[in-house]
Amino acid sequence: MSVAGPPRQRVIWALRWLRWRQGFHHAADLLEGSWLRVALVIGLSALFWGLLYTLFRDGFRFIDSILPSTNEIIEYLFGLFFLSLLVMLSVSTGILVYASLFQGDEAEYLLTLPVSEDRIFAHLFRDALVFASWGLFLLGSPMLVAYGMVARAGGTYFLLVLPYMTAFVVLAGSLGAVASLLVARYAPRQTRAILGGLLALAILAGLVYAVRLMGTPGQPLSLEWLDTLLDRLSASQSPALPSRWLARGLVAAARGEPDQALYDFAILAAHAAAAYLLAAWLSRGWLRTGWSRSRSASSARRRHGLYALDSAFHFLFGFLPRPTRLLILKDLRSFRRDPAQWSQFLIFFGLLGLYFLNMQRFHAGESVWPAFWKHVIGFLNLSVAALILSTFTTRFVFPMLSLEGRNLWILGLLPMSRRTILWGKYLFAAGLSLVATLMLVILSDLLFLMPPGVILLHSLALTVLCSGLAAISVGMGALLPDLRQDDPSKIAAGLGGTLNLVLSLIYIACVITLLAVPAPWYLPDLDPSLDRPPSPPLPGGLCLALVLLVSLALGALATWLPLRSGIRAFESRDF
Amino acid sequence: MIAQNPAALVELRGVTKVYGSRRVVDHLDLDLHAGELFAFLGPNGAGKTTTIKMVCGLLHPTSGTVRIAGVPATSAAARARIAYIPDQPYLYNKLTGREFIRFVVEMYGIDRRRAATRTAELIETFELGSYIDELCETYSHGMRQRVVFAAALVHEPDVLVVDEPLVGLDPRSARIVKDVFLSQARSGVAVLMSTHLLAIAEELADTIGIIHQGRLLARGSLDELRARAPDSGSLEDLFLRLTGGDRPTVPLPEGSVLS
Repeated sequence: MSVAGPPRQRVIWALRWLRWRQGFHHAADLLEGSWLRVALVIGLSALFWGLLYTLFRDGFRFIDSILPSTNEIIEYLFGLFFLSLLVMLSVSTGILVYASLFQGDEAEYLLTLPVSEDRIFAHLFRDALVFASWGLFLLGSPMLVAYGMVARAGGTYFLLVLPYMTAFVVLAGSLGAVASLLVARYAPRQTRAILGGLLALAILAGLVYAVRLMGTPGQPLSLEWLDTLLDRLSASQSPALPSRWLARGLVAAARGEPDQALYDFAILAAHAAAAYLLAAWLSRGWLRTGWSRSRSASSARRRHGLYALDSAFHFLFGFLPRPTRLLILKDLRSFRRDPAQWSQFLIFFGLLGLYFLNMQRFHAGESVWPAFWKHVIGFLNLSVAALILSTFTTRFVFPMLSLEGRNLWILGLLPMSRRTILWGKYLFAAGLSLVATLMLVILSDLLFLMPPGVILLHSLALTVLCSGLAAISVGMGALLPDLRQDDPSKIAAGLGGTLNLVLSLIYIACVITLLAVPAPWYLPDLDPSLDRPPSPPLPGGLCLALVLLVSLALGALATWLPLRSGIRAFESRDF
Repeated sequence: MIAQNPAALVELRGVTKVYGSRRVVDHLDLDLHAGELFAFLGPNGAGKTTTIKMVCGLLHPTSGTVRIAGVPATSAAARARIAYIPDQPYLYNKLTGREFIRFVVEMYGIDRRRAATRTAELIETFELGSYIDELCETYSHGMRQRVVFAAALVHEPDVLVVDEPLVGLDPRSARIVKDVFLSQARSGVAVLMSTHLLAIAEELADTIGIIHQGRLLARGSLDELRARAPDSGSLEDLFLRLTGGDRPTVPLPEGSVLS
């Protein structure tokens, strides 16, 4: 046979054909398998897009009522928003590129074929970029369309939005890819340390920024306060930042200044192309070397320890039977030895922590807010904690059983009932959720000087929420497992995960509505600083007792029903 | 019979590979000629897979050189002459077997008419006809292995590198694969196969190399190795002596004896 390599055009065509055929079979499977699933995904996406569009439109209208929506402040806010996206996109694409180039089976296979390394890079980079940025398009498109509508932007703006976003995504992704090639080439053994360092740096930078912003002097929302705040954010407006080019260009397009808009687009696109070329050029020399080094590093045998943590776990969860504890410990060990898992966990609760830290602002401006608003914010806190928790349970608890995958028979053969296995997972998830969120809610209540009765009510509501959300995720995870998938984020993004999230959201809405709607009638009994309504339909005490009773019943139902369905499905499953 | 060809198709010189503080391959020298079927025999963790991955250009040796037909193993020219089948072969689940072979044809830039004839031959040889147009995700392990073998041979490689080829295959699939190895070797292909099953090495290999803790401890034809075995003259005894001393001891119930 000839030793000449295949023609470049044929390789490019083959790789594109490959993805097209895979996509075709995938779509055919989806359509053949379940119309309901496709309809649900499309319907929910459309609903989500519509809700976001409405939210952003109303937000921009509110700003438009105070100052023109093409004002510099909007440019400023866009700059800040796109800067955070730039960082998040670079990091997430970098991680995905690293996983796909240096740890994925497809890359290993492609590297054995007579194809140039930059072609393999281009092929896998495109996948990583799509996977990392689809959320941005889902989140960013309603915002930018709403802005264009409110600012009454012309056709140039709407024509430029997609090319602008594409160039921005390519630039951020290419920077991430360059970083991942550098890590694989020069520090393949330090990937965990680098990831941890980046995370620590991001948290530190976030905290420093948060502290600086929270310390902004002046009356909140006054012009003087706003000026100082923007001044403190000025680092995010450097003219050298791609986020700034994007913000300036989009606002210029909305203002009807096509020259400026096209100029900024040209700068952004040129930098995106240059960054992509740099990544592709580096991959020629570094992809194969990096692959070899990262695989050699991962093949070095490691001993794992941290058994003190295990002992602490046994001590804390001593009320559970020992076999159940051992099963949970197995999940816990897998979790803490996978950086992709615990880093996302830290991000979830880091964001929640930042949110509650920000509550200090409201406390500092206590005189600005009437006592009534204190309680509104209290319920808002409860909702935010529950919403983040539902994302957490969907992402981490729902996939727990699916992740057993082909080893599920081990659970099936264990000398313990399957009911006990699921109850163990539920108790662990509910306990962990409660510990993580209860502290934050109580802390924010104390900052707001809430009376003990209200703190107790919030704690009880959170317990009901944690129990229900954990049970929904454990039950749905047993009812709709995806045993073929070993990536927890893909399990969570599948049909079962989507349904789990929807059910969790409905449950949260029910509990919060039940507590918040009759609040004006029963809250004055718990907080004497509140005015009593003139003619309540029920006495405050009775109303509170009813609310508590119905909440507890709802929580018990939301715990029992999904767990019962999950246990039945798990017990009838063949291994 | 090994074809007499002085130029080695696979050439390893002083190859060492270190993972962390562990030396996985230790100063390995190996030549493999056209028409030779070489079996790498060794216990688990002996360094067989690492050596094979260096031959395929996937892993870089810490020191030493690996060349395929005179060019570095990491070059595209070397990869064009090799076919590599790992112990856990990769298949695109959302392609049919035929589409996968077609993809490989395009990636190697094979003439399409020639490829069509070759594909038909391979489908017949590996008895893929009944399921070649179904999605790979529906295949059993044996079916997957056969499709991967067919795809690996479609570009008519000069060197066939296979890692643990018969694991999980049913007797018929195993027979087909073994016959293909022999037929490839007789047609002038250099076949490098790793295995930890003595019977496979005894049945198929022209040359056997026993590797342990990264070192090539013995190399020769089956007869040459048997001649070195103590007492019984069996390959198993030689293998056990070279790789771990005496026969391993397994505790038995009191009073029972292993025959």
